[in-house]
Amino acid sequence: MALNPMYRRALALTIQQVSRQQTAAASTVSKIGNRDVVGFGMNGTPSYIDRVDFPMPAIRFKENTPDIQALREKEKEDWKKLTLEEKKALYRASFCQTFAEMKAPTGEWKSVLGITLILSSLGIWIYMWMKMYVYDDLPESFKPEHQEAQLKRMIGLGANPVQGISSKWDYAKGDWK
Amino acid sequence: MPTWGCLGLQDSASPLMEQLTYFHDHTMFILILITTLVGYILINSTLNSLINRFLLENQEIEIIWTVLPAIILIFIAMPSLRLLYLLDETNNSSITIKTIGHQWYWSYEYSDFLDVEFDSFMAPYSIDSNLRLLDVDNRIPIPLNTQIRLIISAADVIHSWTIPSLGVKADAIPGRLNQVSFLVNRPGLFYGQCSEICGANHSFMPILIESISVDSFLNWVSSNP
Repeated sequence: MALNPMYRRALALTIQQVSRQQTAAASTVSKIGNRDVVGFGMNGTPSYIDRVDFPMPAIRFKENTPDIQALREKEKEDWKKLTLEEKKALYRASFCQTFAEMKAPTGEWKSVLGITLILSSLGIWIYMWMKMYVYDDLPESFKPEHQEAQLKRMIGLGANPVQGISSKWDYAKGDWK
Repeated sequence: MPTWGCLGLQDSASPLMEQLTYFHDHTMFILILITTLVGYILINSTLNSLINRFLLENQEIEIIWTVLPAIILIFIAMPSLRLLYLLDETNNSSITIKTIGHQWYWSYEYSDFLDVEFDSFMAPYSIDSNLRLLDVDNRIPIPLNTQIRLIISAADVIHSWTIPSLGVKADAIPGRLNQVSFLVNRPGLFYGQCSEICGANHSFMPILIESISVDSFLNWVSSNP
């Protein structure tokens, strides 16, 4: 029949998929070692991540040892019977950092600020060198006496009398308002 | 003319420039509003400790932040278009002046009644003349409160004739006549500078309009051969 090749192809693809999944499962086990998969985690992959917004990672942090297995059995009974050390050991077996450790400030801002200030000061040194050795002198019109003369002329001309410089001058008084 | 540390527009000397200044202020108001709003949202989003891992496809806010900017843009566009058409209105000009850009000076012709022609070169700086790069030897007299038609062209390369306080700028292109129309409503000196790169002395060919009473203007025209 004409459909027969299609069925054979579908079957071949399915077998390929299954073998790929089994290979994946096998390589997953070899990647995470003896650690239990305990949930979905962040994206469904069996990976350990310390994140405040994904509080339950997919796998335990440490591999199972007989000690931990014993503690886990003890954990199934009354928790008041667990000592503080045992509770801490159980926590650290499943998790790398506590929430306090995850949220703790890193102090990275100090390095960032420091390096930024160092580079800015380097820029300022370069500018000072340019001003001393590269740029020409400013024209004569920048000198204070020259600027005063220019200001006097601007006021005499009534330049920008609406909201600008001449609007601040009292012409009757001959001085600033 | 611009003064030191001049951040905004110069005070207007023409009704159209007044309108341009008002439009600028109106648009700047809207821009500051938008910037403040966005800045507040940014800071708020950065400094709060809320987390939403499943934020996807919120249709209501998408509609809001599409419609609201469209409305803001309409508020900007309406005065803008009004001003655009206002600037292009035909005026019955009382007087026509021609200006030709050369490398590196302007020449002016008043040919309505008597033929008056002169060149306008930048004046060398001294503390007596004391506006560096702005003063000229021959100013352009313009009668007050009179609609002026200015025809602009060039003799060699492209220049651009402009007076910021009148809101006028037009390229001076060789082989082409560009027309601008303006009215000066206060007496005084109004400065401009060539606004299209035209060679070595492009920064050294300023424009200086002297706005005077109609009587003084007529005296000047008749006394100038």
